[in-house]
Amino acid sequence: MKPVWTVARREFLERVRSRGFIIGTVALPLVALILMGSSAALGSRGQQARRNLAVVDFTGYLAERVQAGLESSGYQVEVLPRDGLDGLDGRVTDGEFFGYLLLDDLTIEEGAAVFRGKEPLGTVSEGLVRATIVQSALAARLSGSGDGTDAEALLRGGSLEFESTSGDSTAEDLRAATIAGFVGAMLLYMSMLVYGTFVMRSVLEEKRNRVVEVVISSIRPWQLMLGKILGVGAVGLAQMTIWAVAFLLILLLALPNLVAFWPVLEELGDMGRFVPGVGTVALFGAYFLLGYFLYSSLFAAVGAICTREEEAQQVQFPIIMLLVFPLILQTSAIEGNGFPWLDWAAVFPFFSPILMFPRAVAGVVPGWMVALSIALMILALVATAWIAGRIYRVGILMQGKRPTLPQILRWVREAD
Amino acid sequence: MVELAIHTRGVGKAFGSHTAVSDFDLDVPRGTIYGLLGPNGSGKTTMIRMIMGILLPDRGRIEIFGAPSDFRSRRRVGYLPEERGVYEKMRVLDQLVFLGEIRGVDRSLARARASQWLERLSLAGWAGRKVQDLSKGMQQKVQFIATVLHDPDLLILDEPFSGLDPINQEVLEAIVRDEQDRGKTILFSTHLMEQAERLCERVCLISRSRKVLDGDLKTLRREERSGVVSVEFDGDGSWLAVPWVESTSMVGDGVHVTLVEGTDPMRLLGAALEGGVQLRRFEMVEPSLREIFVRHAGAGTESSAPLEAAS
Repeated sequence: MKPVWTVARREFLERVRSRGFIIGTVALPLVALILMGSSAALGSRGQQARRNLAVVDFTGYLAERVQAGLESSGYQVEVLPRDGLDGLDGRVTDGEFFGYLLLDDLTIEEGAAVFRGKEPLGTVSEGLVRATIVQSALAARLSGSGDGTDAEALLRGGSLEFESTSGDSTAEDLRAATIAGFVGAMLLYMSMLVYGTFVMRSVLEEKRNRVVEVVISSIRPWQLMLGKILGVGAVGLAQMTIWAVAFLLILLLALPNLVAFWPVLEELGDMGRFVPGVGTVALFGAYFLLGYFLYSSLFAAVGAICTREEEAQQVQFPIIMLLVFPLILQTSAIEGNGFPWLDWAAVFPFFSPILMFPRAVAGVVPGWMVALSIALMILALVATAWIAGRIYRVGILMQGKRPTLPQILRWVREAD
Repeated sequence: MVELAIHTRGVGKAFGSHTAVSDFDLDVPRGTIYGLLGPNGSGKTTMIRMIMGILLPDRGRIEIFGAPSDFRSRRRVGYLPEERGVYEKMRVLDQLVFLGEIRGVDRSLARARASQWLERLSLAGWAGRKVQDLSKGMQQKVQFIATVLHDPDLLILDEPFSGLDPINQEVLEAIVRDEQDRGKTILFSTHLMEQAERLCERVCLISRSRKVLDGDLKTLRREERSGVVSVEFDGDGSWLAVPWVESTSMVGDGVHVTLVEGTDPMRLLGAALEGGVQLRRFEMVEPSLREIFVRHAGAGTESSAPLEAAS
């Protein structure tokens, strides 16, 4: 096993030390975090001044509603009496207010109002203010009918409560699980594709620079192939761990800021729901490892039968299809679990990571099907590794013309 | 019995309709510097790749130190392929340590040895640089270090000197001789006859995928003496006008005298004494490797696959 670790170690260290890895893994989330944090911090300071508004109400009954509505969105609103207009422009110039709203009868009738300030409100801000004014006007008129109508509740859009017929999980839990499952499936798709391609490139490189001829005279081909797959896999695990930590940090640090800034975000519900539990992480790990080993041995075989990168682009096409197809199925199934046969397609080992993982997380398939998919993946992995290993062994020492399919089948059949 | 480092019998390999190596017997005794000589495309590299297990022979058998060529026996071999195999993006020292470890050398030992070798080949300043930053010649030296890092008993070097400047060629030749002094066996291929003449004790001449001739270089040359005598003398050359002298030619201060086949060179000595000529030099001319090669491979060889001129 020692040569395997030597190869894996090289593969891991060379990749982790490369500029691409450092930028992709560490710098990107860091920059994102800094940007989000600083924009939230800057925003809350700079925006706070822009959120200081005054309201002058000529109708006499709109101001309180507008004030309540805006304040719930994080604005500071002062309601001024009608004679407060005198010198108000000056108070705006002095920076006491960012500007003020003028509400009159036309506001009640058509929802039209005036904003006076040094500069217009931002696009988002304007939309929010306008919506608040219109809702206030409608609420004021509806509550005039006096039959106990909760106009505000109606105007907020009402609610549609979900009651589970099967258990006691809440709608939010289920939705979060669906989203987490889908995000997980996407991650699995990308990681299998990206790290699988890494393995393929690495095989190609050694073939191109002929290092493989030196290495293979000292260690066995399967040791080289396994070491390569393990090394790249470790890179993948390291990269995803770093990203997961970064994601959690962003949730913990930046989100409270963001919610404070955009209270609308609160409607997403408790973000903690999206932090995956231990079971989900374990399931993800299992599907990642099995799926990665399965696909990377295929990619290694592709690398072995090709000589040039462009050639490999073509040859890898069927494998890419094998990855993309379940993703399309999963995307189409996101609204309701449309096709019952999808649950069975999810048992097919090459589809399992992308199709079965989200189903398992959402709890829409029985446990034994999940177990079956794992068992089938292990079987498929053994078979694939055996076949790919044989193709690899012959292919890495071949140069020049790409072998035909019958030739490859003969490599697989003929042992030596 | 002389123990053999490499022993092959009846090895053959064809690529499609092209025969690359045919019925090849090779015996490389331990502790020798052995040259595999032949023009480009004559099958040297194919033979070496079969010894290294990169290609499987169609027929015949190959033994390394008396055992079949497998992973165990190949661990005792240091192999320098003709095409330069290096990880371009890897740092020089890291690369050497990795290639040493792959061959079972402990990491710290590999590091120490690699540093020593880099020092010896005046590459110490490049240890931390990426291989792609090095010149071709330096890369070749790095690759040579990788070949000897695990202190193999047998070095198989495919065209090790091509692409090196004369100074580095000498450095490498010195190392090869050093390794021999340490009891190692070296098999190397080259198309440069003069270099093989300088370095080898034994040679094997290949032409058109077949072995033409092999054996101890000195013995070969003695056997291949062709009745040419180099003489230097004072006085006129009329004494050379005898029927058993086929031709004469001026070479430098002397004359190369070609005798009619089957003539005893001592007869020439006698003629000189009889003619009262003051001889300053009398020497049997041994043929160069190139001459031997051409003689045995035939003129056709040269035209179909010309020998490259030595630098």
